[in-house]
Amino acid sequence: MNIFNIRFSLTLLLVSLISLPSLSDSYFDAGESKISIISESKKISSNDKILIGIEFDLMPGWHTYWKNPGDSGQEASIEWTLPKGFVASEILWPGPERIPVEPLMTYGYENKVVLLTEIKSPKEFPEEVNLAAKISWLTCKEICIPQEGKVDINLTRGQKLESRDAFRLRNVLETVPKKYPYEYRASLLNEKIFLNLKKNNDVKISQAYFFPYDYGLIDYSAEQKLENNQNSFGLEIEPSPIELKTNNLKGVLELGLEGRSKFYELSTELEQIAESKPIKVTLITAIIFAFLGGIILNAMPCVFPILSIKILSFIEQSQGSKEKLILHGLVFSAGVLSTFLLMAALLISLRVSGEAIGWGYQLQSPLVVSLLIYLFVIVGIVFMGNLVLGSSLTRLGVFGKNQRSLLSSFLTGTLAVIVASPCTAPFMGPALGVALLQPGMQSIAIFLSLGLGFSFPYLLLSFSPGLLSKLPKPGEWMLTLKQLMAFPMWASALWLAWVLSSQVSTISVFLVLLGSLLIALALWLVEKSQASKVTLKRLSLMSSLVLIVTAIWLLPYTNDDNETALKDGQNAFSAQKLSLLRSEQKIVFINFTADWCITCKVNEAIALNQKEVKNILQQKGITYLKADWTRKDEEIASILERYGRTGVPLYLLFPSVGDPIILPEILTEELLLDFLNKIN
Amino acid sequence: MKYLSFLLFLLFINSSLASVETDAAAPDFELINSYGDNISLSNFEGSTVVLEWTNHDCPFVAKHYKTGNMQSTQKIAKDQGVIWLTIISSAPNTQGYVVPKKANDLTLDRNAEPSHVLFDPEGGVGKMYGAKTTPHMYIIDQKGSLRYQGAIDDAGGRGFMTRNLLEADNHVKNALNEIFQGKDVTTRVSKPYGCSVKYKS
Repeated sequence: MNIFNIRFSLTLLLVSLISLPSLSDSYFDAGESKISIISESKKISSNDKILIGIEFDLMPGWHTYWKNPGDSGQEASIEWTLPKGFVASEILWPGPERIPVEPLMTYGYENKVVLLTEIKSPKEFPEEVNLAAKISWLTCKEICIPQEGKVDINLTRGQKLESRDAFRLRNVLETVPKKYPYEYRASLLNEKIFLNLKKNNDVKISQAYFFPYDYGLIDYSAEQKLENNQNSFGLEIEPSPIELKTNNLKGVLELGLEGRSKFYELSTELEQIAESKPIKVTLITAIIFAFLGGIILNAMPCVFPILSIKILSFIEQSQGSKEKLILHGLVFSAGVLSTFLLMAALLISLRVSGEAIGWGYQLQSPLVVSLLIYLFVIVGIVFMGNLVLGSSLTRLGVFGKNQRSLLSSFLTGTLAVIVASPCTAPFMGPALGVALLQPGMQSIAIFLSLGLGFSFPYLLLSFSPGLLSKLPKPGEWMLTLKQLMAFPMWASALWLAWVLSSQVSTISVFLVLLGSLLIALALWLVEKSQASKVTLKRLSLMSSLVLIVTAIWLLPYTNDDNETALKDGQNAFSAQKLSLLRSEQKIVFINFTADWCITCKVNEAIALNQKEVKNILQQKGITYLKADWTRKDEEIASILERYGRTGVPLYLLFPSVGDPIILPEILTEELLLDFLNKIN
Repeated sequence: MKYLSFLLFLLFINSSLASVETDAAAPDFELINSYGDNISLSNFEGSTVVLEWTNHDCPFVAKHYKTGNMQSTQKIAKDQGVIWLTIISSAPNTQGYVVPKKANDLTLDRNAEPSHVLFDPEGGVGKMYGAKTTPHMYIIDQKGSLRYQGAIDDAGGRGFMTRNLLEADNHVKNALNEIFQGKDVTTRVSKPYGCSVKYKS
């Protein structure tokens, strides 16, 4: 674009604004763009229709606009001057192109475009008629130039005779959107617009984009997500960020079919699917819930053994001085609280940096799961053996019996929190939801309350030795109990191995199990060498170091699985599927779960998978959807967030119309049947 | 609060377009005016503020100034004690980018009455407010809430170039009147029209 061109077109503009030059030519040059008029026939008969095109020929890089120009720009207008009785249609706009002007998005045409008008002739008219069009349009590259020009064409009365432009005009007419031939619906759910359209079975859609007619419906510059199904497809569209009330979805859908674009017109009501407001839990409730959840967390299978060992050490200490007992109780709590705070800080900072994570998120990482497997194996071995291990392991803090240092109490607290991290107890869900959705002091307070609840039983015990005296006296039974507790630890390791098996390949799981064996061997070597000579001791320490390094080397550092493997199956949840079911007024039950969530698995075993439950789902035509959060999933995270949660389990039961019911986190068959029976 | 806004501001630099909902708090910003002073929105707490995105070479803006429509809106605002901030988000070497002297000359030549002409060559403030076109107008009330965003009037669309702007329905004048009468703004959002803002690419 050079200065001359700007001047030229501005001059033309001014000239044309003052007095339009009557160019009786069918051609007008405005510099950046030229227009000409073409007709399918030079003759027209009475009561006939004729297709007339205004052709725009744009210089490279320049564009003009569609009927909705998008974020900026302006559509062309054609003002016809016609002989008496002749009527012109509205402009028939060919399907537009997307022309991004970062960060904006505009809709228009580059290079060449023909805007069509259908003109109807009356019964009687003179032998020769003149059809004249005054066109004003905007041509833009980096800058915009309003242009205006006049073109006209002479037609004679007579039988229609196809001109050399007829074929081209009909090709253009092909690109003018037609009504979409199958059923479709549009709904607004979860602050997204979902378009669901039926299609022919064997048609493969490679690309789709919806161009709205009106402002304020969609965000023009946002990506639109296409989902292909068997005989339908969906498009997820970002609504306009600025609220502008419209209940209609009208516009043009572009479909990429075998490398060619086809355009269809859509016009339908936008169904607003009732959604409940995100659950509001007040800070106070959240703090109380966190406290209760913390207490209950102690009874969870992965934590219980560690803590029963801790109680054993309390029983022993109860023989000693009262002050010492209180001190240990406090130090243990400090260990618990500081670890919770550390985890809170980590979670919050990850969330602030935009990660869609919640409680238990760490188990979405195969590396973390594998490290926990090692940890549970080690703790189990330590419980089992009557081992006198080297100082490095004693610091893990599980040896109240042999090491009564304060550090040991502190580290027991830390260890207890780490092993508790895969678990969610009742009450914890809503509380942590609040904590993670509102980062800052509030969430710190909630995490502290959780930690206090978690360490509450021990504080109670250490402050009231009277309670301790009610427990049995120390003796041989303690050793037996400790050894017994190795089994729940190993059971936890097994469960984690199963979690891992859904995240990585079989060979990776095998390598982690091999690593566990190496670690066991290393522990045995260390233990055996305790009583040996110095050289032998060194040798075995060296080899166990090699074994441990090897075990670490065997860890899976990446997800090596095919990501879609988990999403398979008829029941897999997707927001789009939900929107479709909701718009069909189906009753929907969604199970938000993850392999690493024990509560979820227990609920599935005792309630969801029961025959009675399956029967009633079938009887009442309730659709069951499973939202699997074993691995990271933004979509599921955002729905959890909507209901005030950052973790699983969550059970939502949508009636055919209206807000969903949130079921309790601990399900029984009876409870679930009750809910399912009542819903309609 | 101020630092937080500033952090947000930094986040939005070079990012995609954000937006502010009508009736939400208008985010604070700080820009340099045509006299080299730092001006921030929070300087005008307690006053109603109009933001006008401009590019004097854009034909839409040119028409609003040539017909005196923009100036008469500015005059009415000024009489009501409104602060008028004209913001240029054109990047260097793009249409509408001007040096301070040229900005002042334009104000003088066109008899315009902005309180300040501000430069946003990085586009951070424009993107933070979701300014898409020139002109694109925003009204912030005395409490700092955004009460109107969109076009200056309803003259956009087909035939704009030949329309008499003084006869158009001026959304900004209407909204200012309603705000001063303590009423709800009837038209809170409208489709902005004009040239695209020439953001730094």
